Amino acid sequence: MRRLPVYILIDTSGSMRGEPIESVKVGMADMVATLRQDPYALETVCISIITFDSEVKQLVPLTPLADLQLPDIVTPESGPTLTGAALQMLCKIYDSEVQMGTPQKKGDWMPLLFLMTDGKPADIQLYKQMTGEVKRHQFTNIVACAAGPKAQTEPLKLLTDNVFSLENMDSNSFKKFFQWVTLNIGAGGKSVGTTDSVELPEPPKEVNLVI
Amino acid sequence: MNTEKFLELLANGKNDTDFEEFLKFVSDKLWNQYNKHLMDEILMTENKVNGIALNLPNASENKPYEQTIDFGDTKIAIERVDGLSAETHGLNVTVCDDKKSFKIAGTPDLNPIRNAGTEIESTFELTVFYKYEGLCLPPKKPLLERKLQLVINQDPRYLWKNIPVDWEKMSDPKYEKEDADCQYVTVKALPDGTPQKDIVAASKRGRSHAQEGKPRDDDFQLYHDEQTNWYVIAVADGAGSAKFSREGSRLACNVTVEVCKKALSNCEKFEENINLWHIDQKSEDAGKLVSTDIYNILGKAAHKAHTEINAEAAREKNRPKDYATTLLLAICKKFDFGWFIASFWVGDGAMCLYDKENHTSVLLGTPDEGEYGGQTRFLTMPEIFANPTDFFSRLKCRIVPDFTALFLMSDGVSDPKFETDVNLNSTEKWNALWDDLKDNGVELTDDNEAAKEQLLNWLDFWAPGNHDDRTIAILY
Repeated sequence: MRRLPVYILIDTSGSMRGEPIESVKVGMADMVATLRQDPYALETVCISIITFDSEVKQLVPLTPLADLQLPDIVTPESGPTLTGAALQMLCKIYDSEVQMGTPQKKGDWMPLLFLMTDGKPADIQLYKQMTGEVKRHQFTNIVACAAGPKAQTEPLKLLTDNVFSLENMDSNSFKKFFQWVTLNIGAGGKSVGTTDSVELPEPPKEVNLVI
Repeated sequence: MNTEKFLELLANGKNDTDFEEFLKFVSDKLWNQYNKHLMDEILMTENKVNGIALNLPNASENKPYEQTIDFGDTKIAIERVDGLSAETHGLNVTVCDDKKSFKIAGTPDLNPIRNAGTEIESTFELTVFYKYEGLCLPPKKPLLERKLQLVINQDPRYLWKNIPVDWEKMSDPKYEKEDADCQYVTVKALPDGTPQKDIVAASKRGRSHAQEGKPRDDDFQLYHDEQTNWYVIAVADGAGSAKFSREGSRLACNVTVEVCKKALSNCEKFEENINLWHIDQKSEDAGKLVSTDIYNILGKAAHKAHTEINAEAAREKNRPKDYATTLLLAICKKFDFGWFIASFWVGDGAMCLYDKENHTSVLLGTPDEGEYGGQTRFLTMPEIFANPTDFFSRLKCRIVPDFTALFLMSDGVSDPKFETDVNLNSTEKWNALWDDLKDNGVELTDDNEAAKEQLLNWLDFWAPGNHDDRTIAILY
């Protein structure tokens, strides 16, 4: 069966501690609950969660939505945001987890990538190098979200044209963002041409497109 | 010291009333302290027990589930577990004899909740009531509690909706299309009683489109010429991501069948060439002649469809890729020496000449598939026509003594039934499809007009993750 792999990269650096990370968790729980009501998602969506702070961890390997259990997400007191290292791990995981089409095996749908950060990459050299690497791995859509006033959108634009910003890091903003992510996932896995990318659904007004 | 002496000392000369008041005071104070101490102990114990990581995998409706949840704490004694029942959820919960663990078993069934009209959340809360060795529990809290969440995924079959397309609200151009279509082309038996092959086709909107009230993007077109006895079959699959692909697929079928129809109404030269080629299939000259004819008929039909789709896109000020569609096109005719079949194929799906008696199946081309699911090529792409060698490789022809069926189908059918290219080339799998049709109510017997509805019903088969529009045409 064809899977729709969804990679979610979450900044868990010290500044995310407290309300922001709790809101992200609630947002993701809502997202999973909503996706479970979508029969197509229930049969095809597989989710992987990668967190990054001074360490990068794949908290959840690519797991079918039906089997998914959301992990507890913890944040350290402080420390750098290793966004570049996170992308590096993503590429490695992509190579081992995503099934390419072969005569013997049906390929997965082209994966989706969501990255959320409230700061800027501390490992900017590696980050820049890895944005190229991520582009060599194909994704139907890459959506980057800059959360809160301190998040820098410039580095994210190197990764994708779909950069969005959340002014606030409160529960409502994250909730709206994840609702929109849910819509995106629901729209994934539709038949597309070899060269086409899928158009994103309109973001809600709490989520601003960065041009 | 006896009790009297003890009380005398404690009273210390006070009168009875004062002493009673004093005793009450002491007792109340100590009781409060004791209770507070107990509550603290309870809280600490519950926190400790709440911290025990438990393995509770998600359940899925209609799939047998059995899981023993073990606290692994020797002091726990489970009394009961609330929150799930066989009547409401199809799951039984039983406390194991050791009282340290409990078992959830059964086949989840959420119909009792569904039928009650309640919206079903996938997460259910269980409460485990337990005692803890060495911990005295007050009457107002006779048992400790641990809450647990169990996910029961609903059976996706219950989640699919069949939302009609709101054509009135559809933005222009509407390109209205029925959700389902089927057709039977009867070719009557010859005067001597020899049956002639018929064509049956059915096309149905996929569940993923029905879920969102979107129209069917697939299409087909059948034709049989009474005079010349040529058959023409086209199946097209409009790209799910393209806005007007339903019109792209309609045009692809209509235009190509129209072109073939015209070309084949008067094609003596072509038939002569086929005869020549039949006599000497190794003859390069005859092969070239036939190839040129096929190019002039099928190739031109495909190109005309491409051009007309572009013209329609231009008229409506849309991009051609908004009309993206695949195309499977076949023409065939029975000659004295056997059947001649020629075809053109761009995109995914499957087109196969199947012979049950001789145990052969021949794909009439190669499906265009990318590294990822759903990637394919479309008739609307200019590059299809850019390279003559590539384009020629999309045309195929052959002569066979006879065959059981010629299949043309969109990937909505071929994906769930074949899954991989390897399987598409496996005659066993085509045998399986032939049996599948027969075993599931499609009677492919001569002149059976009812087969079109039977085939339409057959298209409702269940295959997880495969809910695209489905179209199949069979010449048999």
